Amino acid sequence: MADTIVKIENLVKRYKDLIALDHLNLEIKQGEVFGLLGPNGSGKSTTISCLLSLLAFDKGNIEVFGRKMTPDNYEAKRNIGIIMQNVAVFDELTVIENIDYFCGLYIKNREERKKCVQDAIAFTELQDFTRFYPKKLSGGLLRRLNIACGIAHKPKLIILDEPTVAVDPQSRNKILEGIQKLNAEGATIIYTSHYMEEVEQICTRIAIMDKGKKIAEGTKDELKKMIKNTETVSVETSAVPADVLEKINALPHVYSACCTDGRLEVKCSGGKHNLIRILNVLQESDLHFGRVFSELPTLNDVFLEITGKALRDSD
Amino acid sequence: MFLHNLKYEFLQNIRARSLILWLILFPIILGTFFKVAFSGIYETTTVFSTVPVAVVEKGSNENFRQVMESLSEGDDALFETYYSDEESALKLLEEKKVSGILYAVDEQVSITVVSAEGGTSAEGIRRTIIKSFVEQYNANRSIIMDTISHSPEKLNDVVSELSEDMKCNENIPLTNGNHDNMLSYFYNLVAMVALLGSDLGLGIAVSSQGNLSAIGARKCCSPTRKIVSIITSMLGCIAVQTVCIFFSISFLAFVLQVDFGAKLPMVYLAGSVGGVLGVSFGFAIGSVSKLGVNAKGTVTTAFTLVCCFFSGLMIGNMKAVVSTYAPWFNEINPAAVISDSLYCLNFYDDYTRFTQKIITMLVMSVIFMLIGFFLTRRRKYASL
Ligand SMILES: Nc1ncnc2c1ncn2[C@@H]1O[C@H](COP(=O)(O)OP(=O)(O)OP(=O)(O)O)[C@@H](O)[C@H]1O
Ligand SMILES: [Mg+2]
Repeated sequence: MADTIVKIENLVKRYKDLIALDHLNLEIKQGEVFGLLGPNGSGKSTTISCLLSLLAFDKGNIEVFGRKMTPDNYEAKRNIGIIMQNVAVFDELTVIENIDYFCGLYIKNREERKKCVQDAIAFTELQDFTRFYPKKLSGGLLRRLNIACGIAHKPKLIILDEPTVAVDPQSRNKILEGIQKLNAEGATIIYTSHYMEEVEQICTRIAIMDKGKKIAEGTKDELKKMIKNTETVSVETSAVPADVLEKINALPHVYSACCTDGRLEVKCSGGKHNLIRILNVLQESDLHFGRVFSELPTLNDVFLEITGKALRDSD
Repeated sequence: MFLHNLKYEFLQNIRARSLILWLILFPIILGTFFKVAFSGIYETTTVFSTVPVAVVEKGSNENFRQVMESLSEGDDALFETYYSDEESALKLLEEKKVSGILYAVDEQVSITVVSAEGGTSAEGIRRTIIKSFVEQYNANRSIIMDTISHSPEKLNDVVSELSEDMKCNENIPLTNGNHDNMLSYFYNLVAMVALLGSDLGLGIAVSSQGNLSAIGARKCCSPTRKIVSIITSMLGCIAVQTVCIFFSISFLAFVLQVDFGAKLPMVYLAGSVGGVLGVSFGFAIGSVSKLGVNAKGTVTTAFTLVCCFFSGLMIGNMKAVVSTYAPWFNEINPAAVISDSLYCLNFYDDYTRFTQKIITMLVMSVIFMLIGFFLTRRRKYASL
């Protein structure tokens, strides 16, 4: 059984009337890439801040590396790398100076630090930009610098709070690959995001949060098994008459069918030939249709089913 | 470790563009502006050395005549003397051919001047010179008499010492001397630069507080103790501020040729201590958690300007006004304390008042720093 790196018990955090975290429990094991997934305002950043002892909380218990986390727990702090949601670098320092500065807060030995800084630069592929000031970096490069500043001291636990916000897909993939590499080198990762694709891609275990509560937890497969949806069939078509919808709804395994904006969406639970059966019904009813999709459930479906609303309302 | 932090604190502050603007460019512009605005006065202050006076005599004034003669000859003559009766003297005065009338009655001297107040600043200075000459003469009359009767050949020495004295003294008694006011603009400019260091101090608080900036949060998450990071930041800021102050003073003293007096190193010292005061003030304000970062910036800048206003940066005789209505305010107004310290250096020979001003600055700095430390000591925040 792997060691527990982070243990959060019954964490409650209130901002006046708003309960930002409501009896949250989390346990993160050595070597995991732990995903904290939730919509905006669900309390991900708050959880991280409490975990880091930045934020005072009302109730609960937090242990890191087996010891209670406090502002004075410098031993734990030495082994944590933190990449905040907001980029935290000095505009007046160059890329390499920024990394060196933040690394210096952890590593006092000069030679050792020099090596760490070089490693961090190589890792984030910022070699060509070491003399650049942050203002001159593109969004993606800036995020990479932000990451380099957080991981240069080779921490055992790396916490990334939405590191890919406003980053183009290519840079995003680089970042995600980097995180997996760090994990392969032995670091435990906590990764928060509201992009379910990212979380699906890299996380070994995921907790889904909503309104300060943990609503589900497990590997992505476990999470998907929790819901009855196994397949969603979408068909581009003109308006579907009510009686046809009824017929589709009556098909075995189908539990929901609706048509909006020329798109028929059918949700199925189990069964193997759902797509064929649905198309058959459409053909029998002389309805023309365009493209057809069959999708496996996503974490969004998990979220949707548990909370009754989409993970991300926009996009 | 310590040096590592210090190095980056320094680099980071010295490269901040707003800092360059406020702490370097602004004094250059404002100083140059003052210089241009006052250049007329400057010229006359260098020319004033010969003051035209009319002398009206009653009774015997042998000795006084001798003194006046020796003061009226040579290249650096103090006076240009016209002997006349009262009527024509008044006429000369009215026509502004002379700056004052000296009445000598049996070696006793008294004066009349054009008008008690007003006139150009050059006239003010000439009046002051005449006034202080009369005071000097009356105060030293017995010595002069002695010299004339016992060793007349030494009269020139005595008199030149007297006039030398006066040239040094010409600034001292200036209660309404405009020369004074002009210098006070430059002193206040130095005070302003020093206090604008509060912007740097603000940065210390902001960048070390987890709830005020992302960088602060990052620092709080590191194993470096807060006190260490604050102290290094503080030292870094003070170093940068000192560089800026040195630059400003050097610019004023050497480029604009502002007369800071003979004790220039002490001027630098006073400026630097003033800078420490500015930085620690900003640190204290920055640590007040209730205010937003922008609000704090506004507060420190406004505070700096208000202090400088009351100490006479915008209106030259503001300090005099304050000293009439609320003299205590000049003692605690940081800008007034800084500019006063420079004033004391220039116009007082001994260091008592200067030291007192420096101590006031240091005490205020310590108070502000303690407030700052007290307010930033918290390490967990209720809200980020
Ligand atoms: N300082 C604060 N004062 C009051 N409420 C706050 C404060 N910070 C956060 N909140 C509230 O707490 C809740 C959780 O916020 P949090 O930042 O943890 O969300 P998040 O999951 O990180 O969201 P996002 O994806 O937008 O980063 C939100 O409803 C937010 O409005
Ligand atoms: Mg967040």
